[in-house]
Amino acid sequence: MADESKDIYYVEGTPIPETPLPGKEPPPWRETSVVGKALPRVDAYERVSGSAAYPSDVHLPNMLHGAILRCPHPHARIRRIDASAAAKLPGVRMIISGNTPEADLIWKKDPVGDMRLFEPICRFEGDVVAAVAAETPYQAWDAAHAISVDYEVLPFVADERQALKPGVPVVHPKGNVSKTDRYERGDIAQGFAAADVVLEESYRTECELHTPLEPHGCVANWDGRSLTIWESSQGVYAVQSRVAEVLKLPLARVRVIGHYMGGGFGSKLEPGKYTIIAALMAKLSGRPVRLFLTREETYLCVGNRPPTNMTVKAGVKRDGTLTALEFSVLGTGGAYTAGGTSLADWLARDLYTCPNVRTISTDVFINAGPARAFRAPGHPQGAWALEQMMDTLAEAIGMDPVQLRLKNIPSVSQAREGNPPYTSTAFKECLELGAAAFGWEKARGEARAQRASRHIRRGVGMAGGLWFAGGGRPPSTVVVKLFPDGSANLNMGASDLGTGTKTVMAMVIAEELGIKPEAVQIECADTGTTQYATPSGGSKTVPTEAPAVRNAAVQVKQKLLEMAAEALKVDAAELVYRGRDIASRQDSSKRIAVKDLEALKRQGIVVGIGYRGPNPKNMTTHPFAAQFCEVEVNMLTGELKILRFLAAQDSGRVMNRLTYGNQVIGGITMGIGLAATEQRILDTGRTGKMVNRNWHDYKLPTALDVPVDVTVLPVEPVDTAANNTGAKGLGEPATIPTAAAIANAVYHATGLRITCTPIHPQQLVQRLADRPKEG
Amino acid sequence: MLPSFDYIRPKSVQAAITHLATGSAQAHAGGTDLMGCLRERIFPVGKVVSLSGLPELRGVSETADGGLRIGALTALSALSEHPIVIKRFGGLAQAAGEVGSPQLRNQGTLGGNICQKPRCWYYRTDFTCLRKGGGTCFAVDGENQFHCIFGGGGTCFIVHPSDTAPALVALNATARLAGPRGSRDVPLEKFFVLPEVDVQRETVLARGEIVTEIRIPPPVSGTRSSYRKVRARRSWDFALAGVAMALRFDRKRVIDGRVVLSGAAPIPWRSKEVEQIVRGKELTVDVIAAAAKAVTSGAEPLEKNGYKLALFQGMIEEELTLMAASA
Repeated sequence: MADESKDIYYVEGTPIPETPLPGKEPPPWRETSVVGKALPRVDAYERVSGSAAYPSDVHLPNMLHGAILRCPHPHARIRRIDASAAAKLPGVRMIISGNTPEADLIWKKDPVGDMRLFEPICRFEGDVVAAVAAETPYQAWDAAHAISVDYEVLPFVADERQALKPGVPVVHPKGNVSKTDRYERGDIAQGFAAADVVLEESYRTECELHTPLEPHGCVANWDGRSLTIWESSQGVYAVQSRVAEVLKLPLARVRVIGHYMGGGFGSKLEPGKYTIIAALMAKLSGRPVRLFLTREETYLCVGNRPPTNMTVKAGVKRDGTLTALEFSVLGTGGAYTAGGTSLADWLARDLYTCPNVRTISTDVFINAGPARAFRAPGHPQGAWALEQMMDTLAEAIGMDPVQLRLKNIPSVSQAREGNPPYTSTAFKECLELGAAAFGWEKARGEARAQRASRHIRRGVGMAGGLWFAGGGRPPSTVVVKLFPDGSANLNMGASDLGTGTKTVMAMVIAEELGIKPEAVQIECADTGTTQYATPSGGSKTVPTEAPAVRNAAVQVKQKLLEMAAEALKVDAAELVYRGRDIASRQDSSKRIAVKDLEALKRQGIVVGIGYRGPNPKNMTTHPFAAQFCEVEVNMLTGELKILRFLAAQDSGRVMNRLTYGNQVIGGITMGIGLAATEQRILDTGRTGKMVNRNWHDYKLPTALDVPVDVTVLPVEPVDTAANNTGAKGLGEPATIPTAAAIANAVYHATGLRITCTPIHPQQLVQRLADRPKEG
Repeated sequence: MLPSFDYIRPKSVQAAITHLATGSAQAHAGGTDLMGCLRERIFPVGKVVSLSGLPELRGVSETADGGLRIGALTALSALSEHPIVIKRFGGLAQAAGEVGSPQLRNQGTLGGNICQKPRCWYYRTDFTCLRKGGGTCFAVDGENQFHCIFGGGGTCFIVHPSDTAPALVALNATARLAGPRGSRDVPLEKFFVLPEVDVQRETVLARGEIVTEIRIPPPVSGTRSSYRKVRARRSWDFALAGVAMALRFDRKRVIDGRVVLSGAAPIPWRSKEVEQIVRGKELTVDVIAAAAKAVTSGAEPLEKNGYKLALFQGMIEEELTLMAASA
């Protein structure tokens, strides 16, 4: 009895995948017993109860609090900084600025030149000017704002549409063009000549701000020559390498910890100047420093989804064959090189079969906060343009929008060198199964039928998409440790952004080892104790880490089989791992409980190391999506109500049905924000300053803006080539088609093509009033 | 970050008034607006005077004549869920229910709602605008999409942010004020101050004065009231455009009544043009169309808030049509 109770973590009666021979990778799963189930998060209780210690919860003994003084102007030269009055305020222990010799550091290398930690010229509102560490957060804030700065206010440009006009102020001496990208395949002129219908339209998306629940920041502490940073981050190793580079430290002396983090959406893929400032003030003061930004600061200086100004010209034959796509985009990454147009043209290049494509992307500088990756960079913007154009083309040739898309589905990535096939694509199934489950044809017809006289009108729309990444890739190294009682540790460098990464990994281990998911304790995101991982982003965390975790668990099983072979005096290849015990295939009397293995008793633990293997050659792995929605428009007031959504997502194997649903609903919610509510507003005329830097004026969608009726429909192609789990990324594809689907539904309801985000009453009521009166 | 201040919780209205009359004191009722103002350092504050120790300022009761007395500290949710308010002063219940979000309605008070500071983003952030004693209005040729179309008077273009104030004006309510020089009653319609009168004040409250209660006269038989609000998102937002109506019907004919706009002007804005058109008439399609057109007569939109013309017209059309249907 006592012995039985010691291995309570094994499960009974579920099949455990075959263990490959040593040195061999496991084949892709077929059926799974644990993976794919709807299991609650392994850390749900900790997160909900508040016992989870996020980086912003870290309080160290003797800790100081930091605050940053930021430039209030979009463009200004610092003539002089006088901190003498601030230094005399109570509690002030440290003030640093461009006058501090130790703070004369290169923060980042940029094509326009090295960016210093404290730039003598501030090129965006919110760039750092000085920083204070004091005994309390209030003392630090008061002292930072008591620093007297003499600014020479410079002329600015805050609208990318003005940036290239003659006589406009330049952000950098070389001018306002950051980068121009061109792409071309086929013969665009011939493509247009071959078309029956050629249409052209311009579109714009507004700048969006990330707004994660936990603001950006860190706590920094020095122990002798070693630095430890608790940072709210998507990638602790990315923070480590930048901090080491800027402060000229060996990587081994920079430990970055981020066990929990409160959201990033791309804006925490890298550290901030605040990280360096905290580390520096901690070093100079000899005390730990906590430095978290205020919400207002995060709006100004830690990233955004850049605005885009796009034009699409498209040619199509009467039968729906696309013959030519020409796409141009003007965008901005703000005041520094930050990918202002990156990937905005990718869907035009790659989503639909089209032999003749030309794109041009122009990224310009303006005096505003630099962009950072934001959930599917470029893609929701590109979809906003392309997917509205697809609907416009469909109408022009009298074809159903779903049918037009089905007509042009590629099996290869046309925009990649060598046109590699997809390891799997269920875009077709997303469209077909999605349309069927949504009741597309019926809903379209009914919406049109009830349109007649009422001022509340219904519309139904859809859009598709794929994500540029999402296949995962090496490197990743993880460690799985199995204890004799059947409980296990996973040691993984990757962060769980709140997407459920840890839960998925616990399920992978449970699947392979025949133990309960709750028997897996996970240590993650700590450069001191976990192995190297790239930041969690690009919808690649599961397809990168899950195969490595699986490999590590498999290695544990291989080692146990070797131990059992020794104990039972048989060949390891004859044995089968059954969770609680290991037995001979030929002779069932030859069996031994895992806990009875002498070798395990000697070691106390079995360690498996897993690596992410290479991706298949000459193939490429991507998720796909089709989303459908129904909306209601008040024709008198321009109010938009989103009634229901259906998302058909091909992200390969579903790893956890609950977190899968969370990701998709979250993606749709963000897409609703892009479509209908969110917009950074700069006072472009007079001051160039951001006017809506708070949670009221920057309008995230609320619970009432998101429909209750959201159906998540996983479409699971069998993908045996992508990786040994068959999973593809999900976080980003879930938000790519959303805004375009809403715009198409609004068109269906109103007959108005809304080409600029957001579709709020301000815009819609004006457009409705301007339209010619209906007869 | 909040500034440093003293915090006082007096036990009597008189003590509160005494504290509020000295130094840069600010009254703290629900605090949902005050906290934001303090964080943004819109005005100096040396002392915050909590009103939470004054239970006599809380509660809703019917007066002897069938009117309503509402303590200024009554939570907005208590108002929107109160059976008598819902039944007899429906427009006020609706207006209170349209404020902010459930948390804000639980915490925010009626007195605070009518005394709140404007939401103009220049006023709320680090711009030294006219209303903060500076020399410039940044909104007049700036980002003015949420600003007023009436009553700016060429000086300051805020809109009054309250949802309950237009409903109270429509219902002909009176505010009872208590101050260093005693009590006085001010009709809600006279409670608010246009920028052309004083660009740095939103109400007639003198230093040390607070609102202690609101009184609403008994509704004349046949009166129907309503509040409609359009906002940029469906919760936790102020009105782009709103309208409170209290119309007295004789069967299908409108005898009299008030139509008061929110999101239109620096004060709750009576649309006498609409009132005049509907008075004495049945709400036919033509009357409604004429009223909708009239709501924006005399409006002076700024560069980015021209949509409010169409919005107010559409909203009036929708609301009067609803009123007509229920008549």
